[in-house]
Amino acid sequence: MSVLHIADVTKTFSGGTNAVDSFSLDVADGELVCLLGPSGSGKSTLLRMVGGFEQPNSGRITIDGEEVTHLPPERRPTGMVFQSHALWTHMNVFKNLAFGLKLRRMPAAQIREKVEAVLELVGLAGYGDRMTTQLSGGQQQRVALARSLVLEPKILLLDEPFASLDQHLRERLREEVRDIQQRLKITTLFVTHGQDEALSMADRIVVMANGKTEQIDRPDVVYRDPKTPFVAGFIGTMNLIEGEVSNGIFVRSALTVPLPIADGPATLAIRPEALDLSASDIPKASVHRVTDYGSHGLVDLDLADGTRVKSMVAHPDMLRAGQGVDLLPRAFAAYRNNQQIYRS
Amino acid sequence: MSEVAKAAARPLMENAQSRRPLGLLLVAIPVFLMIWLVVWPAINAISRTIWRPDVDGNVGFDLSSYAFFFSDRYSLDNLAITLWTTLVCAILLLVICLPIALYLRFSRSRLSGYVQALAILPMFVPSIILAFAFIRVLGPNGMVDILFNAVGLPKIRTPYLTPWGPVIGLVWDNIPLTVLILLSGLGSVANQSIEAARDVGANALRVFRHIILPRISNSILVALSFSVLGIFSSFTLPYLLGPASPEMLGPFMQRTLREVQDPIGAMTQAVIAFGFCIVFGLFYVRSVARNQGK
Repeated sequence: MSVLHIADVTKTFSGGTNAVDSFSLDVADGELVCLLGPSGSGKSTLLRMVGGFEQPNSGRITIDGEEVTHLPPERRPTGMVFQSHALWTHMNVFKNLAFGLKLRRMPAAQIREKVEAVLELVGLAGYGDRMTTQLSGGQQQRVALARSLVLEPKILLLDEPFASLDQHLRERLREEVRDIQQRLKITTLFVTHGQDEALSMADRIVVMANGKTEQIDRPDVVYRDPKTPFVAGFIGTMNLIEGEVSNGIFVRSALTVPLPIADGPATLAIRPEALDLSASDIPKASVHRVTDYGSHGLVDLDLADGTRVKSMVAHPDMLRAGQGVDLLPRAFAAYRNNQQIYRS
Repeated sequence: MSEVAKAAARPLMENAQSRRPLGLLLVAIPVFLMIWLVVWPAINAISRTIWRPDVDGNVGFDLSSYAFFFSDRYSLDNLAITLWTTLVCAILLLVICLPIALYLRFSRSRLSGYVQALAILPMFVPSIILAFAFIRVLGPNGMVDILFNAVGLPKIRTPYLTPWGPVIGLVWDNIPLTVLILLSGLGSVANQSIEAARDVGANALRVFRHIILPRISNSILVALSFSVLGIFSSFTLPYLLGPASPEMLGPFMQRTLREVQDPIGAMTQAVIAFGFCIVFGLFYVRSVARNQGK
């Protein structure tokens, strides 16, 4: 059952730019949906509209069947975790968490019980008396999460919560947040521009660009079957090669790939791991650089016209710069007019 | 050691030892001026009011000028009106400037730029011009009276030459500094911490009470301290706009010195004013130190 329903929402800022353009989304109960996109794609604006911090110019937002489109944040059943933690530094951890409960006129004993339970949940039991400035970045983010969770919101909104943390801490926290989210079965909308975060945490990913939806799908589908060239280029590493199709053959420089579509321009999308290399007397590309990552290697190759493509190989030590190779795409997709028209 | 090695051994920046004389010299100038123009006259005034010659010319410890001040009804009335004016101005400044500063900090409208310019304007208007404008507008037969008369309304009870005259002038004069200090304090309140408070259910009033106010209490204290110190010892506006009796300590001191020709009496009033300002100053320093220690 859909808990959050966003229907045809548009937000235009002064200057006439559509930050969010006719956006619609249904989020099911207990689902974690990631809004993924580059800076300026409108994902944070959309999240802020759900939280009540921005008002849409048109469209409707309902939570649990109740319209909240024009309600202020304090009257919405949502809890937001901000990128900068936004903790109140003049209060200690306990007071940060208890503030919302006090506003709801909850008895002191019940407040203490709830706060202690949530601190336990986020792994900060016994930290109630600490000032927030005495905590590390990761601990501050857990307090921010706990502050939202203690109010038991119907929708948890996470606005790039790990952006200010280092890589190691980010990976650990996203696992913890995912565990907590699954344990509490809380419906969550998560904004990120990190595809790793989206792919590892989300039940579904909404890829956004220029305020519009590019694709809404499960993470594996978004990765394996991107519906637009933007998604193909944005998620993971992808070789996007512009070329011409003539008589069922895609041609770009010396690269030719059988492509059973109508003649005309097309964009060929091949993942580096789906582009095999082999020795050839008539090479189609030359090796520009080989990067050895230990577990695998990434080879930068140049076609004769200078087009750069990447291939992932198991044995990078067998290749050297300047070597000529043949390119053998194993799996690929083709796009025309911003739409996928073929997938092998 | 080669030339290169010598050069390499030299630190990129001169060390603290070598910079010490320059630093001391830079500090010495303001310290010297402060001792010459503030500390020495203060010590001199205090000593001249408590070590005084008697009728036989023998210099001795004598607190009679202070005893006179604190037993004289007129002097006490002057002190009371000074404290009253200072207190009323401080309250009015807070009541007027805090909403202006909050508006300027959180408003997204273009109007805020004009409001800021208007709020800062008094800073560029000399007190004497302000007093003249006040008299021409709110004084007897001023612009307000003329306008009222034109529409058949009675004359206003002008605040000119009443205790409210200096209050209006001093508040107007102190608005820019107070707004600027409060605004700088509000700059440290992040938008997201306010949004977080609204997110957990706080309305605008509670956000102000629980989130904004604790964060700007230091700025409020600084703004009020600066205003209070200035207002308590102000001269021009109380002299031009205030009543002749009772009068604020500034004009009282001037009149005691020039008209009554009682330098010891004027010095005693100055020492008492200085004492009150030191109490305000110490309260400010203590509060700031306590807040910084938190």
